Amino acid sequence: MKSVAFGQYYPSNSVMHRLDPRVKIVIGIFYIVASFLCKNVLSFALLTVSALVLILVSKIPVKIVLKSIKAIIFIMIFTAILNIFWTKGPEENLILHWNFINIYVDGIYNAVFIAVRIISMIIGTSIFLTYTTTPIELTDGLERLLYPLTFIKVPVHEFAMMMTIALRFIPTIIEETEKIMSAQKARGADFTNGSLSKRAKALIPVLIPLFVSAFRRAGELATAMTCRCYRGGNGRTRLKVLKTTYRDYLALFFIAVFGAAIVLLNIYAPGYTM
Amino acid sequence: MSKITVENVSYVYSGGTPFEMAALNDVSFEIKENCITGIIGHTGSGKSTLVQMFNGLLRPSSGRILLDGRDIWENPKEISSIRYRVGLVMQYPEYQLFEETVEADIAFGPKNMGLSEDEIAERVRESASFVGLSESDLKKSPFDLSGGQKRRAAIAGIMAMRPEVLVLDEPSAGLDPAGKNTIFDGIKKYAESTGSAVVIVSHSMDDMAKYCEDIIVMSHSRVAMKGKRNEIFCRGDELEEIGLGVPQITLLMRLLCEQGVNISQDIYTVDDAEKALSELFGGAR
Amino acid sequence: MSFIKIRNLKYSYKDDEGSPLGIIRDISLDIEKGEYIAIVGHNGSGKSTLAKLLTLVVDDYDYLEGSIEVDGVEITSDDMTEDGIYDLRKKIGMVFQNPDNQLVATIVEEDVAFGPENLGLERAEIRRRVDDALATVGMTEFIRHEPHRLSGGQKQRIAIAGIIAMKPECIIFDESTAMLDPIGRRDVVATMERLNKEDGKTVINITHYMDEAVRADRVIVIDDGKILLDGTPAEIFAEVDKLRGAGLDLPQCTDLTIRLKAKGIDINGEINTPEQCAKAIAAALGK
Repeated sequence: MKSVAFGQYYPSNSVMHRLDPRVKIVIGIFYIVASFLCKNVLSFALLTVSALVLILVSKIPVKIVLKSIKAIIFIMIFTAILNIFWTKGPEENLILHWNFINIYVDGIYNAVFIAVRIISMIIGTSIFLTYTTTPIELTDGLERLLYPLTFIKVPVHEFAMMMTIALRFIPTIIEETEKIMSAQKARGADFTNGSLSKRAKALIPVLIPLFVSAFRRAGELATAMTCRCYRGGNGRTRLKVLKTTYRDYLALFFIAVFGAAIVLLNIYAPGYTM
Repeated sequence: MSKITVENVSYVYSGGTPFEMAALNDVSFEIKENCITGIIGHTGSGKSTLVQMFNGLLRPSSGRILLDGRDIWENPKEISSIRYRVGLVMQYPEYQLFEETVEADIAFGPKNMGLSEDEIAERVRESASFVGLSESDLKKSPFDLSGGQKRRAAIAGIMAMRPEVLVLDEPSAGLDPAGKNTIFDGIKKYAESTGSAVVIVSHSMDDMAKYCEDIIVMSHSRVAMKGKRNEIFCRGDELEEIGLGVPQITLLMRLLCEQGVNISQDIYTVDDAEKALSELFGGAR
Repeated sequence: MSFIKIRNLKYSYKDDEGSPLGIIRDISLDIEKGEYIAIVGHNGSGKSTLAKLLTLVVDDYDYLEGSIEVDGVEITSDDMTEDGIYDLRKKIGMVFQNPDNQLVATIVEEDVAFGPENLGLERAEIRRRVDDALATVGMTEFIRHEPHRLSGGQKQRIAIAGIIAMKPECIIFDESTAMLDPIGRRDVVATMERLNKEDGKTVINITHYMDEAVRADRVIVIDDGKILLDGTPAEIFAEVDKLRGAGLDLPQCTDLTIRLKAKGIDINGEINTPEQCAKAIAAALGK
């Protein structure tokens, strides 16, 4: 169960791990946009290559990356099938005609393009945002990126603090859930057998103590935080200041070049266009 | 007679992953009938894993747990019936309270056993009396009780299943002296009136000295020592090596011995020490 | 002038259903800078309420009379501002019972930095304080660890580091050892004593462990919202009946000596540890 909460981050010391989380968030968003800009064979080929390069640079084992793709394999197959059967192209591109089924070359291209787009997007975002960035860095990065919003009274700091506390307490609460479940099992509670409604009912003896304890924890934590002079984000300084280095500028430069290349390939390159 | 026999039990957490960790390593011992047995060890010595083996919450990676000579995992489908026979009070059991009234909460276990209403009501009364909860306490919400009372209500919830073996993991953790005494008195009453075996897990040597006849010392996932109370406490140096120390009075007797006072080393409680020393002083005069 | 000066403090608070929570009946007390004090009492005696009043983190109150002065400022006065409370909390730090519920951040050093960050210190100063605080509690090697993977005693030492890093004059430990195993307890008590002896901090240890109380320079016994006894450990433990009446135990060796004395056996000297006890008994036996 613990792997669910923190399973995504893959500890390593690659260049990617050392990038400023703000830069990674920005690049991640750019990467998604870029993958949507791709229109033809060449730009999609570039996208594929870029995904492979990302895996290499971040030093994430391919096995782990494949695991995350496995999770969406059904969605991909489903969209691919839809594309193959429902895309209509010009008459001369028809390659199969049987009863009401018409398959065009266009459909096959589209199916492949979309599969590549989804896979690259998953690889890109997970490498930028989850595999190489701890949840807490991500929260820090978001807090600072969104800082300007505080001027229009968005409580950015408060949200970030909530995120931080949630991340801090997830393992604690999971552990507690396991403990309470064991305690109720020791009193004969059964969480695995019986109908769905019976099993849902069996969770009451777990959920009530869990809520009671979560509220108690929240109260105690609030007291402890007040005692440590917490008064919200105003006047607060930070130990860790995010610093951008030449690496980050280089990364931003690469993504800009990458975006430009995709746009150019879309315009000049021949072949099927989506 | 042996009530529970632990036979070469090992347990590995997260087997097959990089986080693999042995929590128990070839552990064997017996829990006797009509006897209070103490299991002592540090946090991380494997004692908390061990207690969850007794009632089948965890299944040994290898080895067997025998209850009355029969493997509790003989028929895995019937493991829940083992849980009624071996009652486990977990650490800080007050966090398991959930019902609207203390009475209903104590009845949760017996209800799951499928007992009749009358039987349940009788058992609730009985176990409440063991731990010293009054009739008016039973009608209260468990969340309105004091810390010590909550703990007692939770323990009563296990006693109400009338287990043949009552296992308690750190039953007195965090309580003040008065709260602690009430809990241990309740446990003793239960043991005496039902004849059940009791297993107390603790890291307090003084509690062990006061209440337990047999003691098992756990260290680094293994059984470091097992035997009668006096056999264990006379091995003070070894206990200190494990980092557990001996009960204060035992330490005192040893220090006296080193100072040349001729006194029995088989003394663990203030009462016994008082008796022995007053004899000694009486004899000297 | 005393660092903390409490005069005729009376306080009560009832929860929503009207059952009283934490009552102080009439307490007057002076605590000097640099003292090492243990406050003992059974659960519900009012000892924790008193500590919470000192940092003004009580939930609410129905009734408050008398005064508390901290470092010359009357904190119970109605003129107490937000900033005044903030200054008070800079002077008195508190470590609570459950180590899990005090740690805010997912990395040890960031948690220790939480207090100094709230004080708005310069980054270099925060860095220095975090490193110093972790060194003081002996947890430097865990600087990059996740708190939830540490043992209870280690977590509690991180919580202490978080308070030390704010450089308070006084640290109150509100049953901070109650949930720890013997090793964790020993480490935390050793940390308290180091803070008192080496750094000169005022340390107030609220506890129900008598073997901890014995180690303090001064013990205050609270029962039913009042001060029952106040003195050195030796003075306190001489009052056996009063202690028993307050639901407290004696350290076993003290108990034994007192019982022997009652039988007319002549044992002299201050007796709180097995070593002292053995020496005194051997002396009485003429060894």
